[in-house]
Amino acid sequence: MSLLREAEKCIANQQSHGLNAFITSLPRAGRWLDRVKEADRRREQGTPKSPVDGRLISIKDNICTRDLPTTCASGILSKFTSPFNATVIDQLEDAGAVVAGKANLDEFGMGSHSTNSRFGPVKNLRRDASGQDLSAGGSSGGSAVAVAADQCYAALGTDTGGSVRLPAAYTGTVGFKPSYGLISRWGVVAYANSLDTVGILGKKTSSVQDIFRILNQHDPRDPTSLSAFTRSRILSQLQSPRLASRLTSKPLRIGVPIEYNISELAPSVRRAWLLSLVHLQEQGHTIHPVSLPATKHALSAYYVIAPAEASSNLAKYDGVRYGTRAEGPDSDGQPDGYLYANTRGSGFGEEVKRRILLGTFSLSADAMDNYFIQAQCVRRLVQRDFNTVFAAEHPLAATQDTGRLEAEQVDILVCPTAPSSPPRLSDVTVASGSSPLDAYVNDVFTVPASLAGLPALSVPVTSESSENSGAGELAGIQVVGQYGDDELVMKVGELLEGKRFESSL
Amino acid sequence: MLRPWPSSGTVRALCRTVHRPLLIRSHNFRFSSVAPSLNSTSADRVPLRKQLKQEAKNLRAQKKQRKENEEAFRQDWELTVGVEIHAQLDAGAKLFSRAPTSASESPNSNVALFDLAFPGSQPEFQAATLLPALRAAAALNCEIQPVSRFDRKHYFYQDQPSGYQITQYYEPFARNGWVDLYDYDGIAPEDGSRIRIDIKQVQLEQDTAKSQEYPPSAQLLDFNRVSHPLIEIITMPQIHTPATAAACVRKLQAMLQACGAVTTGMEMGGLRADVNVSVRRRGEAPGGYEYDGISGLGQRTEIKNLSSFKAVEDAIVAEKNRQIAVLESGGVIEGETRGWTIGSTETRRLRGKEGAVDYRYMPDPDIPPLVIGEDLVNLINDNLPTLPDSLVQTLRTGYGLSIEDAKPLIELDDGARLEYYRDVVDNLCSLYADRDNKTQAAVARTAGNWVLHELGGLLTKADRPWDEEIVPARSLADLIDHLQRKLITGPTAKQVLAAVFDGDRRPIPQLLKEDNLLLRPLSRDEYLALAESAIAQNPQMVEQIRSKNQLGKLGWFVGQMMRTGEKGRVEAPKAEEVLRELILGK
Repeated sequence: MSLLREAEKCIANQQSHGLNAFITSLPRAGRWLDRVKEADRRREQGTPKSPVDGRLISIKDNICTRDLPTTCASGILSKFTSPFNATVIDQLEDAGAVVAGKANLDEFGMGSHSTNSRFGPVKNLRRDASGQDLSAGGSSGGSAVAVAADQCYAALGTDTGGSVRLPAAYTGTVGFKPSYGLISRWGVVAYANSLDTVGILGKKTSSVQDIFRILNQHDPRDPTSLSAFTRSRILSQLQSPRLASRLTSKPLRIGVPIEYNISELAPSVRRAWLLSLVHLQEQGHTIHPVSLPATKHALSAYYVIAPAEASSNLAKYDGVRYGTRAEGPDSDGQPDGYLYANTRGSGFGEEVKRRILLGTFSLSADAMDNYFIQAQCVRRLVQRDFNTVFAAEHPLAATQDTGRLEAEQVDILVCPTAPSSPPRLSDVTVASGSSPLDAYVNDVFTVPASLAGLPALSVPVTSESSENSGAGELAGIQVVGQYGDDELVMKVGELLEGKRFESSL
Repeated sequence: MLRPWPSSGTVRALCRTVHRPLLIRSHNFRFSSVAPSLNSTSADRVPLRKQLKQEAKNLRAQKKQRKENEEAFRQDWELTVGVEIHAQLDAGAKLFSRAPTSASESPNSNVALFDLAFPGSQPEFQAATLLPALRAAAALNCEIQPVSRFDRKHYFYQDQPSGYQITQYYEPFARNGWVDLYDYDGIAPEDGSRIRIDIKQVQLEQDTAKSQEYPPSAQLLDFNRVSHPLIEIITMPQIHTPATAAACVRKLQAMLQACGAVTTGMEMGGLRADVNVSVRRRGEAPGGYEYDGISGLGQRTEIKNLSSFKAVEDAIVAEKNRQIAVLESGGVIEGETRGWTIGSTETRRLRGKEGAVDYRYMPDPDIPPLVIGEDLVNLINDNLPTLPDSLVQTLRTGYGLSIEDAKPLIELDDGARLEYYRDVVDNLCSLYADRDNKTQAAVARTAGNWVLHELGGLLTKADRPWDEEIVPARSLADLIDHLQRKLITGPTAKQVLAAVFDGDRRPIPQLLKEDNLLLRPLSRDEYLALAESAIAQNPQMVEQIRSKNQLGKLGWFVGQMMRTGEKGRVEAPKAEEVLRELILGK
C-alpha cells in the first residue's frame, strides 16, 4: 500500500469514528498531501528519509505545534496556537513524518481516563460484552485510540505517572515511556517537570522503536535533556560485556516484584501476567521474585509531587499574555479580590483545580515538611529499591549502592500495567459517584517507574481461559528496565507483544 | 523582589508631586504680601533675608531637638536593623534566556519565549551572568558555594509572567561575607571608627516586568526587564543606628560599582533596599525573637522598596519611633510588611502577618544545580579591581591626600576622575623621579587639590560633564610643576588653567613663555617700596596690628601689595615677610 493510500485511510478513519480522539484533526486536503506524495517517491527510489517518512503521527495536544492549535484540552488555552514547534515536532518532520492532528487528552495531562477534557471524553474503540463504552485510559487516551483505530501510524503522548502506558494497556496498543531526559521536552507543556516524559504509542514495538531512535537526541533548549557526553557514557556502560551479553548470548534474569501482586488485581490481569512469565521461562529465561518495598508509598508520593509541580507550572495561565481571559473584572469584582480569580476559575476544569489546590497546600509553609519533603524522601526510596534489584548499575547514580546481592539481581522487571481491564466510561464520570481517588489508583503500577525515571513499556497480551470460553481477554503487561536500558526494555516487549496465551488457569 | 520597582510606590510619589502647585501658590501668596499692596501694612513686612535667617534658625533648633530626642531614645531603647539589597547585575543577557538586557529600548522588544512564560518554553541559564555576581560576592568576602540551586517563589502579580520568581532561597551561591564600614563612610559616631556588618548570603534571582499603573484600572507592562539578573544581598541584623544602615547601603552600592557588578545605582533604579527593623528596651530581659541566628531581639517589621539612601535612614527613624511609641503605650508590634513614601514621616502598613504571602518555595525542577569550580573563583579573586577601602588607604598613605579629598576622587565620575588624577601624578613623578619621597608626596597632594578643586570648580562653573580631554593630564602636570618650582605664582597658574580649560592647546612651557607669564622675581627694594606705600596709606590699621596684635590684618596688606604690584610678580610669602619686618620689626 502506498503511503498516500495509507494516509488517506487514516484520515477517513479519523472522520468516521465517533471516538473523539482528536481535538484538531487534519483536513482532507492540505500541504501534507504533497509531503506524503514526495515520501512515496522517495520510497520508490529506495531513499526514504527514515522509517516514518510519509507516515501520519498523532500528537497529544499538550505538545506545541506552530501550524495547529495547542489546547491542552483546557478552556484556558482553548484557542491558543503556539508560536513555535516542540523539538520533537521538528525532529519528526525532518524525518519526513506528518502531524496527523492533535489528540485529545485529560486537561494538561491530569487524569487516567481522558474524560477531563474541555472537548469531551475520549471513547475506547473496544466495548465491553454488553456494548458499553469503555475508558480509553489517560491522559494520552486520544493518542492511544487514534493508533488503535488506525487513525494514524503512531502517536506521541506524554507520560508523567503512566499517561502513555495506561491508555496503551486499555486500548491494546504498545506504549513506551523512555528514560527521563532522553527525549526533549522543549515545547511540551509542563505538568510536573521532574516526571514528564514524551512517550510513544504504536501498534508494534518496532514502530515505537523507530520513532524513539529519531527522538533520542540531546536538545540544548531542554535543560533536563541528557548531554551528548552523558549519552555516550551510558552507551559505553551498556556495551560492557556483562550488559551487552543479555538476551544475545545469555538468557535474561526476569524480576517479578511481589508487591505488585495486590489483592485488588483483576483475575484476568493476574492470568495474563502469569502466562507472560511462563512464556518467557519457556524461552529459557529465568524468573525471580524481587521486592520493591517502597512501592506501597509510591502512589501517595506521586500524588504529592506531581500536583505540587503542577500548581507551580500552571500559575502562568492568567489570560494576560495569551490564552482565554474571562469577561469582566478579574479580581472577583472586588478591589481587594484575588488577581486572575475569574480567568483561572472559569478556564480550568475540576480535576486541574483539584490538583492545583492539592499542590498549593502541600507546598505551603506549614505542610511542606510533612508532604512535599516526605514525598521526595519516598521518591528516593523508590529509586533505591530499583537500584537494589537491577544488576545493571544506575549510570547517573553518584555513589554505588552497598548491600547489593548480585545473586538476587535481575535484568528486567515484568509486571501488569494496570490492576484491571478498562472500566466503563459511565462508571468513571463524576456523575456516577466515582471518587477522583478511584482514578488515581489506576496509576499504582506505572508511578514507580516514573518516580525513578526508568524506561517502561506496556505491551498488549491476550489470555484465553476456559473461564472466558475462548474469548480472549486483553491486558497490558509492563516491562521496566534500569535507567538507560531503553533498548532492552523494547526487546523484551517484543517477546511478549500481541501474544495469545491459552491456559487452564 | 516582591513588587515592581517603579510600581505603585512611584505612582504614589507622582501623585504627591501633583500637590506641589499648592505649595508654590502659598509661596506666591507670601511673596505678594511682601510687595506693597493695599491691604498690607508696613508692620506685616518681614524682610526676606530676615525671614530666611529665622527659618534656618528654626530648622537648626528642630534638628537639635530631634537629635536630643534620638539620643534620649537611644539611652532607653536598642534598635536592630538588617538590610536586603536587590541590585541589577551588569549582564548582557537575561538570567534564563538569551534575550538582551535593556533599559532604554522600546517596551517589549527584548523578550524570549521563556521570559513571557509561554507554554512549553524552558529556562536556559546564561552562565555569563554569573561573572558580575561572583565579583560582587568576592568583593563582599563571601564563601562561594561549590553547589547552589534555584527555587521558585510563588505569587500572582501582573509583573510576574510565570506566577513565580526564580531565586536561590534554600541554597544561595554565596554565604558568610562581610562589609567594613568606616567613619568616613558616614556611620553613626557611636559606632566608632569602624564597624563590620556580616553578610548572611548573596543569591541570584530574576527581576520582574516594569508595570505602570493608570488608575483606576489600566496597567501597562514592559517585559524587557523580566528576568534581568539580580543579586540579593542579605546582611545580618547587626546595625543599630539609622545612619549606619544608610551608610551600609551606600557602601554596598559603592562596592558593587567598584567591582563592576552593577552599572547603575539607586538613583537610576538599579538598586533597591528593604530593611527589617526591631527595637528592644535596654536593661530588660532579652526579646523573644531570633533572626538569622541572632536571638533576644524584638518583633521585627519589614519596610520594602526603599529607593534612596535618605529614604533608608528616614524610614528606619520613623519605624523605630513608631515601634517605641506602640510599645510605650503598652501595645504589641506585629510582624508585618510596611511601606515608605519619600518625604513622609511615617511608615505605612502594607500587609500584616495574617495577610502574609506564603511563597511556597519549591526547588525548580527544570534548572540543574549551579556548580562553580574553584578555578573560576580564583580567577575572579585574582582579577578583582581595587576596592574603595584600599583605594582610600592608598590615596591617604601613598599620595598624602586627606580623607575629604580621597573620597570624592574615588567616587566622582565612576572612577574616571581618579584615573585622571593618577595620570597627572604619573606625569609629575617622571619629572620628580630623582626627588625624595617627601617632595613627591607634596606634589601628589598638590595635584589632588588641583584635580578636585581648581579643575572641579571650572567644571561646575561651566556646567560641563567630566571629560579627561578638556585639560590634558600632561598640561596640568606641567602647570603644577611650574608652580612647585616657583616659576609662576598661584594666581597665574589658575589663570593658565582657565585658558587651557577654554581651549588653549599650546604646551604649557610655550604658553607661559609666549604670554610672558613666567615669574620675574621682584627685588627686595621693590618689595620694600610696595610695602611702604601701603603702610603710608593706612596708618590706623598699622596701629591696630601693632597695639592689638591683629595679625590677621597683615593678609589685607599682602593683598594690597599684590594689587598695586605688577601682575603675577608679587609672591605672597615674600610680601608678608617684608610687611612683618616693617610693621612688627621682625
